[in-house]
Amino acid sequence: MTSRLKRKLNDLGVDPASSKANENFCLIGTPLPPLEKSKDTGEFVPLWKQDVRDEKGRRRLHGAFTGGFSAGYFNTVGSKEGWTPATFTSSRSARSKAKTARPEDFMDDEDLTELRDSRQLVDENEEMDFVAGGTAAELRRRGGIGGEEDEDSITSALASTLAPPAQDSVGARILKKMGWRMGQGIGPRITYEQRRAQDFGAEEDVEVDEEARKHLYPRRDTPLIIVPRKDNSHGLGYTPGMGLVESLGQGASGSGSSSQAKGPRISAGFGLGALNDADEDDLDVYDSSLPTNSRLHHSRRVAYDENEDDNRITMGKSGSSRVQQSQNSRVGDKTQTFGDGRPVLKGFILSDQPVVGDKWFPIPDPPAGWRPNPRLIWDKENAPASSSAKRKERAEPKSHQEWKNSLLSVDERGSLLGETPLPSGPRSVFEYMSSKDREKLERIKHGIESGDIHRPPSPSQFIPQRSKDTIGAEGQIIIPQLHPSIAKAALSGFQPFTSDPVKQSRYTAFLQFTSSSSHDIPTSTSTGLGIGPMPDQTVEAFNKELDDYAKAATVFKPLSGAMAGRFRSAVVIENGPRIIEGLHTPSASASSPSHDREGEGMEEEKTEDPRTAAVRLGMYGPLTREVSVWVPAKLLCKRFGVKEPEVELDELADSAPKAASNVNAEFGDTSGSASQPLAVTDGTPGLDDGSSKMKKAEKRNLANIGLGEDDTQGADTLTYQRPAMDVFKAIFASDDEDSDDEDSGEAPTETAVVPTEAVKTEIEKGKMKAEESSVSLSSPSKPNEVAEKIDLATFKPTFVPRSERHAKEKDKDRDREKERKKKKKKTKTLVSFDDGEGEEGGDGGLALNVKPEKRKDRGRDKDGERKKKRRRGEADEDEDDMWVEAPPPEAVQNLNFDFTAASGPVPIFGMPVEDSKERSQKDESEGLMGPPRGRKRAVDFM
Amino acid sequence: MDPSKRPAPLARTLHATLSNHKGSVHVARYAKGSAKYVLTGGQDRTVRLWNPNSGAEVKVYAAHGYEVLSITVSHDNSRFASSGGDRSVFLWDVSTGATIRRIAGHMGKINTVEFNDDASVVASGSFDATVRLWDLKSQNRAPIQVLDDAKDAVQTLYVGNGTIMTGSVDGYVRTYDLRMGQLRTDYIGHPVTAVIPTQDAQSYLVTTLDSHVRLMDASSGKLLNDFSGHKLTSYRSRACFGHNEASVVCGDENGQVWAWDLLDATVLSPNPPPKVHTSVILWTEHHPIEDGEMITASGDGTVKVWRHPTSQ
Repeated sequence: MTSRLKRKLNDLGVDPASSKANENFCLIGTPLPPLEKSKDTGEFVPLWKQDVRDEKGRRRLHGAFTGGFSAGYFNTVGSKEGWTPATFTSSRSARSKAKTARPEDFMDDEDLTELRDSRQLVDENEEMDFVAGGTAAELRRRGGIGGEEDEDSITSALASTLAPPAQDSVGARILKKMGWRMGQGIGPRITYEQRRAQDFGAEEDVEVDEEARKHLYPRRDTPLIIVPRKDNSHGLGYTPGMGLVESLGQGASGSGSSSQAKGPRISAGFGLGALNDADEDDLDVYDSSLPTNSRLHHSRRVAYDENEDDNRITMGKSGSSRVQQSQNSRVGDKTQTFGDGRPVLKGFILSDQPVVGDKWFPIPDPPAGWRPNPRLIWDKENAPASSSAKRKERAEPKSHQEWKNSLLSVDERGSLLGETPLPSGPRSVFEYMSSKDREKLERIKHGIESGDIHRPPSPSQFIPQRSKDTIGAEGQIIIPQLHPSIAKAALSGFQPFTSDPVKQSRYTAFLQFTSSSSHDIPTSTSTGLGIGPMPDQTVEAFNKELDDYAKAATVFKPLSGAMAGRFRSAVVIENGPRIIEGLHTPSASASSPSHDREGEGMEEEKTEDPRTAAVRLGMYGPLTREVSVWVPAKLLCKRFGVKEPEVELDELADSAPKAASNVNAEFGDTSGSASQPLAVTDGTPGLDDGSSKMKKAEKRNLANIGLGEDDTQGADTLTYQRPAMDVFKAIFASDDEDSDDEDSGEAPTETAVVPTEAVKTEIEKGKMKAEESSVSLSSPSKPNEVAEKIDLATFKPTFVPRSERHAKEKDKDRDREKERKKKKKKTKTLVSFDDGEGEEGGDGGLALNVKPEKRKDRGRDKDGERKKKRRRGEADEDEDDMWVEAPPPEAVQNLNFDFTAASGPVPIFGMPVEDSKERSQKDESEGLMGPPRGRKRAVDFM
Repeated sequence: MDPSKRPAPLARTLHATLSNHKGSVHVARYAKGSAKYVLTGGQDRTVRLWNPNSGAEVKVYAAHGYEVLSITVSHDNSRFASSGGDRSVFLWDVSTGATIRRIAGHMGKINTVEFNDDASVVASGSFDATVRLWDLKSQNRAPIQVLDDAKDAVQTLYVGNGTIMTGSVDGYVRTYDLRMGQLRTDYIGHPVTAVIPTQDAQSYLVTTLDSHVRLMDASSGKLLNDFSGHKLTSYRSRACFGHNEASVVCGDENGQVWAWDLLDATVLSPNPPPKVHTSVILWTEHHPIEDGEMITASGDGTVKVWRHPTSQ
């Protein structure tokens, strides 16, 4: 820009420095294409910037102020002008063009596409239109719905009715395009001979045409074998409609002849009298069963049948029935069919004779003198189970039961093989039954056996039976046979006669005998059997008894191990007299049950409740009274206005004295150990003690702590053993640090832990006294009282001088440190942490060692070391008092010196300094009143 | 014995007969307070309120579907509870005659029902061998507590201040002590039909089905006295104390009302007592305050009010 121009611009009033004045209008290079075009369409647009447009780019959603959804006349009518009233025009002349309105006329393109889509969906399931090709949707697309408006609806309707579009499958369409026609076979064309060869068998009466040989012919259509679906439940080859005669031997021919006899069906209708002969014209041409002339229809069913109305290739019923019918009709011509309906080949006839005849042999003649005797068979059937003797006679084939008996039982085999028996003890099912049920079962068995002897027992129930012949032997003791394994098992299993010891012993003896004897031999002697008939028992009764035992053994034999493990026996409660149910059946053991009952009665009397006896004697009182704990519901107590009984607390009360005694014992122990003044020095044992005490303390009930009844109260305080020095060193002190640093660092922590402690730490000169005060201040009055109670006679709070104590406590390798501390003590400038440690340990105010001897020692030592002050003298005069009533005034006096040492509570302590004298006097007077005062003072200090 | 210490003779003059019940009368209770009214319940499924002085029936409370076996009256006479065969306790409002609450929960018929002192809890003892304690202050449907120590039907209940006594057919008297958290079980040996403690709760009277009435020491369970002579073997009957607990009164199965001296267990004259009911006497209750009044409820469908001839 030149200076002249500038001036000129200045004159014009334009600021030459402005950008407009400096604007450059020269373009260099090609400008970038506008951003609009390269804009990413998928770019994120904030919600408020988005607008909805339809596929034509029209905005369909407007804001509330710009019209809302699709509002505005643009979208309403479809023209910018909107509705304009049309002038009336007569449609008379254009009547043919008047269309009836269809729903589509009122649809916009969206609706139309929607409709189209929906139709398409439907049409996909429709059949294909084979003439036009493709589906309806295709057709429609081809025809173009919109474009066909000029074609008249009437014409189209006419066309559709007159010439319904032939339907063809796609395959058919393709085939058609390849030159195939309906009714032809598929494949290249063939010569006339070939074709004739194909037709062979179907027809032979075709005259050979010369002309015909010159051409090629399409193949015959491939016959379609249609297998009828068998949807009935008839047997194969059975024809449902057939009568008995037809279904038998000549059924096929019969049916054929009958159908033949029927003749062609005559069309139903009028004009045909009963006497009239059926004419060819009268035949019912629509009767589908009628054989028509069409050869194709005769012989075979063709895949594409022109006469077929439906385009489908149906494998279904209609076709098959037709085939059947045609076959039947054809069969009528031929004479015979096989049983399954197939025609017999030409030139063959069905044979009447079966291929292989059944062989029949003549019945052998019975021997001359034979007479039928069914009794033999009956006896045989009845005999085997009931009589073992007869069974033995014909014993060659063993019965299953016998065979089973001869084998080892599972348990036996297991024991032979050395298997460990199953963990569950062998148990009988009857163990799980109540005694009543058992009784019942037994009785039922009795009833069965005594009631109907004739009834053969089921073979599965192998109750040993006495053979008939042995029964016959009168007056002989027969031991029923019982498998030893069963006897053994029964021995270990349930004992049914426990209520009757005599019977039980006899039963056991019997079982033992049976189990030891070799099995399967019915013994007829009582040798070895430890028991004989009882004095008042007949042999028969004894036999019966033995039988009962055998039965009981089989019944009560325990389950096999596998089963037994699955049960757990319930408690069997036997109470009350046994009730004999039903009618009284006089059994042979009738005497023994009565004996039983008597015995039971005796027993019952014997085992009678002492209470009952007491009641009978009228001795009511402790015998008849029982007191048990009963916990009433809390709400019940509330409703009754009764305080809840403390049942649990009673139990605790039992345990509490124990705990107390424990603690006392500990206390004694520790005091004993404390008699050696150096006991404290070995660190870890002390620690252990502390922890164990802690554990014991945990046992105590929290609710009791702090109550007057609590004997153990304060015991832990009193018996506390200070942890080893090393621990504190490890925690608080660093070896390299100066003692000053240490002190200054540690005093605050102490004060922080227990404020009452702070009082003590403030005190500079009389450390001992500070400790004393801490005792009285920090611990509540009761522990002190307890301590007094315990040790009042001998107890004197004495203090070990720090130096001495340290000398004892410290290991040799800590000499240097010790010296430093001594120095520190001499200067008396600060409360050393060591001191604090020494007295209170890590436990805050509770840490003071109350071992009397030690304390005494300490006190003495301190006395020795330090100059006695006035108050110290007082303390010596009555140490007990002094121990109880701490003399903080001294602390107050010495506060001046302490300020530097005690960092925390110093400002608070500063206040009482002025009248410390007065205060000390006052405190002293108060101190006489005892520990509670001291406590109050502590509060004051704070 | 000093004649002055002899118990006053039993009121044996019939004052009124309350005979509106259709069947046997199972229970007859005096109201609380001055006990001007009597509530009876019977087999006819009703509870009836009587004025024993006039012998007039005041009100009929009919809601039970089964027999009424027990009634208890609240301390303020505003409510009473009844129970019976329909296995639920009915709580009634006396004046309106409508049930306030029906407490179901027992498995068997409820033989006895009893309020506590302030009627905040009702205890019910049932044939199902349980005693259930229901809270009447809340709408809780579950019992506060179920006492299921009894082995057989609970026949009688007494709810005192801090104790609950139950007597059951298994022959035990169980004393539940709420204060001590104790259950004291006294074996009587025979089905217990009634347990009534004395005023001082030092002893209690047990009626059992062996035709004995026993006075037991509550603290030790010892037998203090045994009253017999009457016949009571199969019906629930209730012996009670006479006036000032100087005598024991019990109606028996023959319809006689027996009275014994409490101290020496001698039958007060007349001995044997006259038969005053045609059927078994199921309930005997002496007037809580007055000397000369007593009611007996019987299986013959009548409740009789007895007074001294002088007190009329």
